[in-house]
Amino acid sequence: MAEEITAPETTQVELPQTEAPETNGKSEIIALAIGVAGWILPGLGHALQKMWGRALACFLTVGALVVFGAGMRGNIFTSNGNDAFDSLGYIADLGTGSFYFIAKNIETGGADVSHAGGDYGTRFLATAGVLNLLAALHAYEAARGRKA
Amino acid sequence: MNFHLTHFQSLVLFAVTISIAFGFLGRRRPIDRIKYILWSLFLFLVIGVGIGWAMYPFSH
Repeated sequence: MAEEITAPETTQVELPQTEAPETNGKSEIIALAIGVAGWILPGLGHALQKMWGRALACFLTVGALVVFGAGMRGNIFTSNGNDAFDSLGYIADLGTGSFYFIAKNIETGGADVSHAGGDYGTRFLATAGVLNLLAALHAYEAARGRKA
Repeated sequence: MNFHLTHFQSLVLFAVTISIAFGFLGRRRPIDRIKYILWSLFLFLVIGVGIGWAMYPFSH
């Protein structure tokens, strides 16, 4: 007696509805907002996540570099640069967020790169910007739940 | 506000600030941060002064 081969019954299991995609979208927006906050005010991105040590370190180090860079009469690049290096310098300087305008207020006498001090000042300002961008990215990654 | 720093003072200031920032961002435990800051500062100074001396023959 031959056995009939029947196809196994397929059952449809209803999965519970979750709100994961919406939650992920919200947390991504919050993470982006934290990153932008960290860019606008150095250390704010970490402060919003209660990482006080990192927030203070970012604020003080970026602030110190900006104050010394402007005090040494470094070049603060503007949007109407002449070449690619000026534009890159402008992007780097903008990385300091609101501190860019503080630097402009400190350096009332204008840049003086005819001396080594002014040249160092230019580097300090650019480094402050890049460092702040790095810190803002770090705050963004931490807000997304990556190990930081 | 005007600051007049020598080359070496500028180098030290740069090295200290960057080392502190990297130490706090890159490490979590306080002891690890201190170790990282000191090691990074040491390397900044040694390599900076080393490059300075390596360029010395070209300026004379």
